[in-house]
Amino acid sequence: MKIPMRMKSKNKTVPRNPLGRPPRSDQTDEISDDLSANEQVLKQIFRNSSDLIYRSFTIPEQARVLLVYVDGLVNADMLNQVALQPLLFEGLPGSAENAGSLGTLLKDRLGAVAQVKPVQKINDIVASILKGELAVLIDGEPQVLLLSLGGFEKRAIEEPSAELSVRGPRDGFTEALRTNTSLIRRRIRSEKLKMESLTLGQYSKTDIVIAYLEGIVSESVLKEVRQRLERIQIDGVLESGYIEEFIEDVPWSPFPQIQNTERPDVVCSSLLEGKIAIFIDNTPFVLIAPMSFWSGLQAVEDYYERSIYTSFIRLIRFALLNISLLFPSLFVSLTTFHQQLVPTNLLISVAAAREGVPLPTVIETLLMEFMFEGLREAGIRLPKPIGSAVSIVGALVIGQAAVQAGIVSASVVIIVATTGIASFAIPRYNLGTAFRLLRFPMLILAGVLGLYGVIAGMFLIVIHLLGLRSFGVPYMTPISPHTPENMKDVWIRAPRWSMHRRPLLSTAGNKRRVPEGQQPSPDRGRNES
Amino acid sequence: MNPMRKVGRVALALLTLVLSAGCWDSSEVNDLALELAWGIDTAKNEDLMISAQVIAPFRMGSAEGGSSGGGGGGQDKPYFVMSGIGKDTLDAVQQMQTKLSRQVYRAHRRVIVIGEAQARKGLKKVLDTYSRDPNLKLRSDVFIVKGGTAKEFLNVAYPLEDIPGIGALKEYSQIGTLKEMGLINLLISSISDGNCPALPAIAIGSDTTGPEDTDQDGSSGGEGFRIAGTAIFDNELKLLGYIKGSEGKLLRWIKGELSKLIVTAPIEEEEGEVSLDLNKLRSKVLPRFEGDQIKIQVILKGQGMIRENNTNLDLMQPHNLTIAEEALEKQVETSVSQTITKVQEEFGADVFEFGEVIHRKYPSRWKSLREDWDAEFRKAEVSVKADLTIRRIGVTGPSLHLKERNIQK
Repeated sequence: MKIPMRMKSKNKTVPRNPLGRPPRSDQTDEISDDLSANEQVLKQIFRNSSDLIYRSFTIPEQARVLLVYVDGLVNADMLNQVALQPLLFEGLPGSAENAGSLGTLLKDRLGAVAQVKPVQKINDIVASILKGELAVLIDGEPQVLLLSLGGFEKRAIEEPSAELSVRGPRDGFTEALRTNTSLIRRRIRSEKLKMESLTLGQYSKTDIVIAYLEGIVSESVLKEVRQRLERIQIDGVLESGYIEEFIEDVPWSPFPQIQNTERPDVVCSSLLEGKIAIFIDNTPFVLIAPMSFWSGLQAVEDYYERSIYTSFIRLIRFALLNISLLFPSLFVSLTTFHQQLVPTNLLISVAAAREGVPLPTVIETLLMEFMFEGLREAGIRLPKPIGSAVSIVGALVIGQAAVQAGIVSASVVIIVATTGIASFAIPRYNLGTAFRLLRFPMLILAGVLGLYGVIAGMFLIVIHLLGLRSFGVPYMTPISPHTPENMKDVWIRAPRWSMHRRPLLSTAGNKRRVPEGQQPSPDRGRNES
Repeated sequence: MNPMRKVGRVALALLTLVLSAGCWDSSEVNDLALELAWGIDTAKNEDLMISAQVIAPFRMGSAEGGSSGGGGGGQDKPYFVMSGIGKDTLDAVQQMQTKLSRQVYRAHRRVIVIGEAQARKGLKKVLDTYSRDPNLKLRSDVFIVKGGTAKEFLNVAYPLEDIPGIGALKEYSQIGTLKEMGLINLLISSISDGNCPALPAIAIGSDTTGPEDTDQDGSSGGEGFRIAGTAIFDNELKLLGYIKGSEGKLLRWIKGELSKLIVTAPIEEEEGEVSLDLNKLRSKVLPRFEGDQIKIQVILKGQGMIRENNTNLDLMQPHNLTIAEEALEKQVETSVSQTITKVQEEFGADVFEFGEVIHRKYPSRWKSLREDWDAEFRKAEVSVKADLTIRRIGVTGPSLHLKERNIQK
């Protein structure tokens, strides 16, 4: 839980390349000037790969050329039309003698179509081909031209289905890394926006981009993010969750320490708060670190709607958060241990509803919570047409019929339903799951020890939360450690002109967000002129 | 150690710790016999009889949801009365428990009724458990059953409330007194020398023939029950007698415990009455000594609204308001003086807390008075001054049905 824990693992000596075999020696070789020999080498490396395309042709009066690429990753149409067809049918301009080698000529020509880089090492050629680049091999040239043409199939930019908002931009990230980074670049047109990239995964070789705003980001946090990412040794990275589990501070905590989002506007606002975004290729979910507990309660729309309304909703949300954690356990402890604390009339109705119910209240509540989680889980996985059937069965069978049959009491159904609604009101899904999970131990504590157990459980949770850090930044900031300046974005959301400072603990350098004195008033502007 | 195993061991230890406690003290709501009202009576051989109005939740109003199903036949009342006899309260509860399938649960009791016989014997022997047991709340009201026993009272159904005990509580709060302060006030006044307790009296039956003040004879016909005056106790917590309901209200006004009161005063010149609905009541007691004679001035202040005016006065006119105010003040002064005199002469018990005021203002003189305060109280000269303010007169000045020439401008 403390920082020294990660120092320990840093000092461990990592065995070199623990996954799989060492790279084959022939791949480190340089390419020769014999085209057919090179072709043989490549075909040997890519044996049994049906999606590799080899196209060879001869430029008139010149040499033979071989194109190698992965089918589906390269858009060869443009290459053909713009660069190769003129070459094939018209030949090279001028004479070959004064134009230098064919390689240089082709490089100039192709440079008009795509980014071209000459490479000699077979190792690099193989990696580039697999990345989706097109390799141009020329007979008699000891180098290969690699063209970044792009052109693989991409999903269009759509509204993210998991993070909806009534007001706000409707674009969401896609699976393509460069599309995603471009969405950020379009929002922050500053040279201070830096995007460092690295590759992870022994086999997947997934591109990863660390984005941050220079001058705002805290250098120590950035260094920590870089180090933790570089330490990862993994065979493949298929989703941001793979990375998240390697770099979070306390793996056994129920609370998420890294935020994820599908929305570019969320990433941009986080960058402006000095946080760091980690883009991973092939997933629309971008990681944001460091995360604070309170950012889990901040919905995107909080910053687009007016602040009075938002502040009200924030307070409601916080109340719902508490309900989602405590409501069932408080109900159980009050009705089985501390009946004197329940208002008389309420107690009588609870007692009347419980008449004839066979199970103890704890077991009854646990059972209903269990069924509720089951319903939720079933509803997520099922195809849409069947999904509605599940909700009907859930509502009718578990709700009404069970109460009428006297198996569960109506008050427990109400408690479980209220808790369920409350748990879905938390804007960040992964924080909501943390509280849904903690509800069960709290319920057991309440059933065994009563309010004493509930309070003990709350103590444990609060102590854990206060000790938690995300990349060295305390999780509960700005409540603890208390920074009054940042309290304007916790319980309430103050108007933007009054939030002068960025979150202090994750920011270094430029901490001023908005200059003071911008509150709208009839006199504003008059004094200045 | 492997961190997983460490976590596992700690979790196991915690689980054992938690489970070995094993739900003790827990009890399901439907294993409790809730009672809202509780009665204390005398029994033979110096024993106590405790009666409880036990609630049967499944017979309560609309909350029949998933209950035992049958319903329909049998008793319809959502409560029944169970009694037990013993040497003291707990002993009696133990005997009562033998007749109940669910555990007697006293924490929700809101009303304590005491039979007249027990009240005359004194309350000193029965009060301890209500302040000692941590489960019991001090926020209860105590009633004396006038001309009856607590058990008889608990058996009476009340037409407006499911649980009759709640009916008593609500009836009492409608008078304009603080709710659920009875027990604590009783305890406070019993420890002080210059103060005798006064508790509300309740009587079975709601059919009374005359106005509130004339019918004071305990039980009568009719459903339910009624607040029938105030019971006056002496310093030994023994019942001395009762004063009328209206006098009880004035007593509470003097003690500063009343929040609303309607005063009706005849206006002689106009041959009619004016009623003032007071909602801001204040009182001040000013004792002084003239030689050895104790003189106490009681100043009563109140503000309110005229809600009924059966005279010809046009209350829009300020001088008419003064007439009405003076008549009302005179009325209050007379009736309060009468009440105080009555208590002084009949009971000689200082239920007005005059002694406490003297204690606070003249602590040194109080030392000599304390020993024989009851006698001193009888001798004290009490004068009453009322100061009423009419804040509003309603929507008309004169009555609407009056002819223009009859209206007294």
